[in-house]
Amino acid sequence: MKRSKTMELGVGLFMLAGIVGLVFLGLRVSGLSLSLPSDTFQLEANFANIGSLKPGSRVALAGVTVGRVESIELDTEWYDARVLMELDGQLEGQLPQDSTAAILTSGLLGEQYIGLSVGGAPETLADGDTLRDTQSAIVLEELIQKFVSSMIKE
Amino acid sequence: MIERIRHLGQQGCALLEALGRAGIFLGQSALGVPSREGFHLWLRQMHFVGVMSLAIVLVSGLFIGMVLALQGYTILVDFGAEQALGQMVALSLLRELGPVVSALLFAGRAGSALTAEIGLMKATEQLTSMEMIGVDPLRRVVAPRLWAGFVALPLLTIGFSVVGVWGGQLVGVEWLGVFEGSYWSNMQSSVAFVADVGNGLIKSLVFALVVTWIAVFQGYDLIPTSEGISRATTRTVVYSSLAVLGLDFVLTALMFGELS
Amino acid sequence: MFDNISKDDEAMTDSAFVEVESVHFSRGEMEIFRGVDLTIPRGRITAIMGPSGTGKTTLLKMIGGQLTPDAGHVRIDGQDVHALSRKALFVLRRRMGMLFQSGALFSDLDVYENVAFPLRVHTDLPEVMIRDVVLMKLQAVGLRGARELKPSELSGGMARRVALARAIALDPELILYDEPFAGQDPISMGVLIQLIKRLNEALGLTAVIVSHDIKETLSIADYVYVIADGQVMAHGTPASLDTDRDPRVSQFMHGEPDGPVPFHYPAMDFHADILGSGGPR
Repeated sequence: MKRSKTMELGVGLFMLAGIVGLVFLGLRVSGLSLSLPSDTFQLEANFANIGSLKPGSRVALAGVTVGRVESIELDTEWYDARVLMELDGQLEGQLPQDSTAAILTSGLLGEQYIGLSVGGAPETLADGDTLRDTQSAIVLEELIQKFVSSMIKE
Repeated sequence: MIERIRHLGQQGCALLEALGRAGIFLGQSALGVPSREGFHLWLRQMHFVGVMSLAIVLVSGLFIGMVLALQGYTILVDFGAEQALGQMVALSLLRELGPVVSALLFAGRAGSALTAEIGLMKATEQLTSMEMIGVDPLRRVVAPRLWAGFVALPLLTIGFSVVGVWGGQLVGVEWLGVFEGSYWSNMQSSVAFVADVGNGLIKSLVFALVVTWIAVFQGYDLIPTSEGISRATTRTVVYSSLAVLGLDFVLTALMFGELS
Repeated sequence: MFDNISKDDEAMTDSAFVEVESVHFSRGEMEIFRGVDLTIPRGRITAIMGPSGTGKTTLLKMIGGQLTPDAGHVRIDGQDVHALSRKALFVLRRRMGMLFQSGALFSDLDVYENVAFPLRVHTDLPEVMIRDVVLMKLQAVGLRGARELKPSELSGGMARRVALARAIALDPELILYDEPFAGQDPISMGVLIQLIKRLNEALGLTAVIVSHDIKETLSIADYVYVIADGQVMAHGTPASLDTDRDPRVSQFMHGEPDGPVPFHYPAMDFHADILGSGGPR
């Protein structure tokens, strides 16, 4: 029966390794977070153009990831995009009210993400507040078009 | 000409008949009532098809991950987008290479062994004698193997992908010098757990069922001679590989394609 | 262990235990049985003999319910084997033991577990009692000392004896022997003959032996059926068959190479063939 014990142990370890592997794929590879919902707070921002921003894209402050894009929907009043962000709870009540959000691109063709810049106002942003000052994604075609038309004028 | 058409019809009928037999076979063996005894038999088969296949699957996963990183880097660096390497490695592994390559390795390593083992049991009249003792060989011999394969292959696929991602990091970050933070963060922002990891696992479950089913059915249905066993073993590997690649296309079209 | 068990009383022994009634069977284009009738009496050793390829093993498989005849019936103790449900058939099979030509021991279990297998499956006996029964059966075939060996470590004769111990583990009423003497050396042949005879005498088992080893089979059989060309060619006690004047029976019983059963596979005339009347080969 000793042989069967080691066999059972082997199968047990095998299955455990599979489960650990799945957890690794979840946390490290797909970036799911185990932190509780109470650890985060939400901010909104309206952009004229979001480019290729997707739910799940990262939100960075000074290059450090501090949250993710929760959802994107069309604001039918202004016809622009309303982006809901979920940010690290530590930042709640810390960001000045005149902070700005810009859609940036990592590298020339990389992923798009939201970069936050800290303002200087004494009032701070709370859960559910909206960022007023935003800068849309740069669309390459528009940039080229502008460049070409300015060339023609000259 | 008429003779040819008749021959074609004959082959069609034979194919349908074989499919029908395989279907009945699957139903009869998979619907066994689990018992303590059955659990032990299953455990033994898990060891045989799962644990014993782990080494080959992990080593292959490592190399595939490393090659992906190397090839991906040379392409991406031309666009200045080498920080997207993690994303490329992870998505290729999770969506395609993990499920498909581990299923192919599984068919070669475990599937052929299952066919040969059951075939040998049939050739030495062990299955018949089991029946004469009053034990259904479908329950006793086939069912534990079927279920072990069904559980083992998805676990092996997970192992394959994990090791592959690590191998990609080894080559991309340690050797080629991609920034480690962007390797992981690009991966994390583009891989969706349900859509990528989940769909990959669904693929793997389908492949597990098909490969094990083909393997045990070929073993059970073969002509009990040494030539019959060798032919059935070859058929297992060929049919499983074709089924895996064909089903992979169908599943990919359903899951990731624009068709839906 | 057989000493103090008496044989069943005479009234029981003469009734038929297995009845095969006008069985027809064909495999593909080949007709194997064209109406075979057999009666196998309770508590006796009945031999089914015949040249190779006459379907003796097929007949045994029909009695065991593994093959279904195209027409006709097989009854065991009054039950029609092929009209039973799968479940009832498995219940009936617990009353039968079968010894296969190759032994058919389970290669992943050792000798002890092989003999214990039917007990574990069909009874709820505690481990201590299973051990007692297994050792008793192994003692009966003289292999109690080999209990820890794997089937691959056994010689052909030993494997067959272990298989016999397994076949009698559940004390069946009927035991089917498929070519028990084929490919055995004289010593293990003698051992097997003695075992089969002792089992029959001591336990009152009904035995069916399928074989083409004439001398050995006749030495223990009570009644013999000779099958050829898909039919029962002759039947009777060993003594009456030995003196049978039918040329076919006598050819088989005395092992003459040529006779009504030709030595040659059907072919064209030898002279015409060898002088090359045009064929490519």
